[in-house]
Amino acid sequence: MDPSEVEFLAEKEVVKIIPNFSLDKVYLIGGDLGPFNPGLPVDVPVWLALNLKQRQKCRIVPPDWMDVEKLEEMRELERKENTFTPVPSPYYMELTKLLLNHASDNIPKADEIRTLVKDIWDTRIAKLRLSADSFITQQEAHAKLDNLTLMEINTIRTFLLDSLNCMYKLRSNLQPGSSKGQFTDY
Amino acid sequence: MSDALSDHGSDIQQDDSQEEDVMTPAELIAKLEEAWLNEKFSPELLENKSEVVECVMEQLTHMESNLQRVKKGDVKASVHRMEIDRIRYVLCSYLRARLQKIERFFPHVLEKEKSRAEGEPSLLSPEEYAFAKEYYANTETYLKTVALKRMPANLQTVDLLKAVPEPCVDSFVFLRVKERQENILVEPETDDQREYVVDLEEGSQHLMRYRTIAPLVSSGAVQLI
Repeated sequence: MDPSEVEFLAEKEVVKIIPNFSLDKVYLIGGDLGPFNPGLPVDVPVWLALNLKQRQKCRIVPPDWMDVEKLEEMRELERKENTFTPVPSPYYMELTKLLLNHASDNIPKADEIRTLVKDIWDTRIAKLRLSADSFITQQEAHAKLDNLTLMEINTIRTFLLDSLNCMYKLRSNLQPGSSKGQFTDY
Repeated sequence: MSDALSDHGSDIQQDDSQEEDVMTPAELIAKLEEAWLNEKFSPELLENKSEVVECVMEQLTHMESNLQRVKKGDVKASVHRMEIDRIRYVLCSYLRARLQKIERFFPHVLEKEKSRAEGEPSLLSPEEYAFAKEYYANTETYLKTVALKRMPANLQTVDLLKAVPEPCVDSFVFLRVKERQENILVEPETDDQREYVVDLEEGSQHLMRYRTIAPLVSSGAVQLI
């Protein structure tokens, strides 16, 4: 899956905005939005929030977890634990990137947040690499991946799955008489 | 603001309740996205969801015809357009993923379709079936005119079923559990390991072979991610 498609899914997440215009309820296929009144916070999907922001029609309210103190706590916890800790949003990385790139003026301490989220991401990816390594060396057939986000899975997907497939083919060709793992690619 | 836009939300609800019992448009879109992700990640072609596709198409055309009546520069209309574009993207990507798989596995897809029992739902929609058959015929003709004709007489046939690789259902997939499942058998990787069972808790995520959970994907109990 392309990373931009993961981002596409992340854009469905809901975020609060403070509009500076007024508009009646909008009846979208995916649900109703609004009504929009100047100064009153309202929930909209991220794709719309970014669009309105680009047209300077609103201010984006950063989600609760996008806060230096909370993220610092998370970073410490993530470094201390050996397993993956729960993340505040299944799309934390994508949302940070989207919101900080398009609305950094609405988010206090944007640079610090960017660094913190990057730190958390790096720690998690390091853990992910380690566990992928042990998954392969121990030749496991099942792994539980709780608290992993789609973007994290996506970064390792192609490499891990392709290697597992290759190893499977090589191994099943070792056993005489078995034909199910034969190389059938031309 | 034009009336066309302010009341079509209720229009859609009515349209929908006539053909589908309880599904709201939002649930319909969610269904489409589910099908999209499953199709993207499963190694083999899944059952067609032409009902969902048709309903979504209907929603889109309905919304578009409403937008026709709105004058240019309307803020609401631009919001609706963006939503339509997003949904259309998912829809196209889903259909394209299916076509790609049909092109890759066409002899096997057609073979499965032939051996399907009466009354069993078809993997392919009628349009996809026509596409697969045509693709098969074209490939065959192409091979014949380009190479086979010039081969010695005993080498002039090719069995496409053997020549085209089968979908590899043994590959690993990532999945999220939507309904709790018990006693899923995990086959061992090597001979010195033993097989064991796992319970799949609701909401948990796993990495395992597609073969083990293939029936759960089609029943909707797990979602590939």
